[in-house]
Amino acid sequence: MIPAAVLNEWYPVAMIAQLAAWPGRQTLLLGSEINVFRDAAGAVVVQGADGPLAVTLAYGHVWACPGVPAHPLFPIPEADQPGRRLVDCGVVRVKCSPLRAVENFLDIAHFPFVHTDVLGAEPHTEVGRYEVQIREDSDEVWATKVHFYQPQAAKSAAGGIVTEYMYRVAAPTASVLYKTCPNNADEWDVIAIFVQPLTEELCEVWPWMALFDDTTPQADLIQFQQMIFLQDRSILENQIPRLLPLDPGKEIPTQADLTSIAYRRWLKRKGLTYGAQMVAA
Amino acid sequence: MWVANGLSQDLPSGVVMAGNWQGAELAIWRSVSGRLAAWGDRCPHRGMRLSHGFVRGETLSCIYHGWTYGSDGACSKIPAHPTMVPPAAIKAEVYQCVEADGVIWVGPAGPEADLPDLSGMVAVRSVSVLGDVAALTRALPGFVADGALWRGQVGGVSVSLVVQARGAGLGLHALCGAAAHRVAVSRWLDGVVQLVEQEALT
Repeated sequence: MIPAAVLNEWYPVAMIAQLAAWPGRQTLLLGSEINVFRDAAGAVVVQGADGPLAVTLAYGHVWACPGVPAHPLFPIPEADQPGRRLVDCGVVRVKCSPLRAVENFLDIAHFPFVHTDVLGAEPHTEVGRYEVQIREDSDEVWATKVHFYQPQAAKSAAGGIVTEYMYRVAAPTASVLYKTCPNNADEWDVIAIFVQPLTEELCEVWPWMALFDDTTPQADLIQFQQMIFLQDRSILENQIPRLLPLDPGKEIPTQADLTSIAYRRWLKRKGLTYGAQMVAA
Repeated sequence: MWVANGLSQDLPSGVVMAGNWQGAELAIWRSVSGRLAAWGDRCPHRGMRLSHGFVRGETLSCIYHGWTYGSDGACSKIPAHPTMVPPAAIKAEVYQCVEADGVIWVGPAGPEADLPDLSGMVAVRSVSVLGDVAALTRALPGFVADGALWRGQVGGVSVSLVVQARGAGLGLHALCGAAAHRVAVSRWLDGVVQLVEQEALT
């Protein structure tokens, strides 16, 4: 029995650019079969066993709500900002809890070890203090003033820089990060992951970007992001247990994990337990 | 109970491998100076498999965040906080790990029974086979099993097979009575694998 709180959220289920006529994309959402397709009139339909689901089109993707939407889909104002290049990065299937995929996205301490010489490198491993809050107005988890040394922060970066990050959990399985833009000191690059929960232990991750980068070829941008995610997958498929433990005691966090602690607390408080382990096994 | 987890020759210094004990998944590693250790295959931080980690000197580090553990299992370094002394509570789950006569043995922490006596035997090689003990019994007529240790004769040479449960199959760690016969026994072992897998299908 899936809690109503879980059913009433929005989840990504397809890339708009890849939509086709019936049967379209046959996939799973929260363990139930769905078809994502364009009908004869060109409208996007997400068909479940009991009828069509609520649909929103945004940020290059189709979003569906299997229950009664508790709120509209979260905003990403940068998606409409002139000069930004919006990049769909395709999909990576990962045998892990959708919540573990989001938590990994929020984590910087792994950069030197998992994305070695790209997003991090020894001996630059220290994670300084940063600020984390659960913003009551938007009901989102935010981490700000995160700084980290990166050998190659982006495809367009020429050398090592200290990158500043802001992280945002905007939905239970969607997160947006803002990072120093190598080409424009006044703006942030925006990178998001939209995670489709196929089951509690299987997900598909759709990275999406809104960048100030007019020069890097699209294929190179996508390949860079895919490389990063394949490195993350080698971790995500080897964590025990597959589910994300929400009860303290099973895993030991430190100060560098404040975002993860807030994310877990937020999930627990809201009853967003799909993909979570509630009882210490 | 001791469980064989491989041959000493297959775990060089500076290497970590996956192992098991009675269904528990393990990371077994050898430090640069040659010290062996076997731990539960989970970093206490985020549950990442330590068998995917890396050995530096006398420590094993988790590949996810580089948390570093000494041979006693205690966490000695958290790279995200280089100046912090890790709390003593951060510790890998430690098993006993010893080697004797070329075989790596793992047991639970605490006192243990004696190891099976394999003195005078030389290690040949380890293989994995898809089959169960019943199929192995049919494939090895004339061998006598004492727990996990199977003994018999192959072409006049004494052979010992130490059997390890490995998921749906078995690990067979082979030793023989004379170094000069290692190649012959290794070829015989290939035949045993084929036989067991045929038996397992019938």
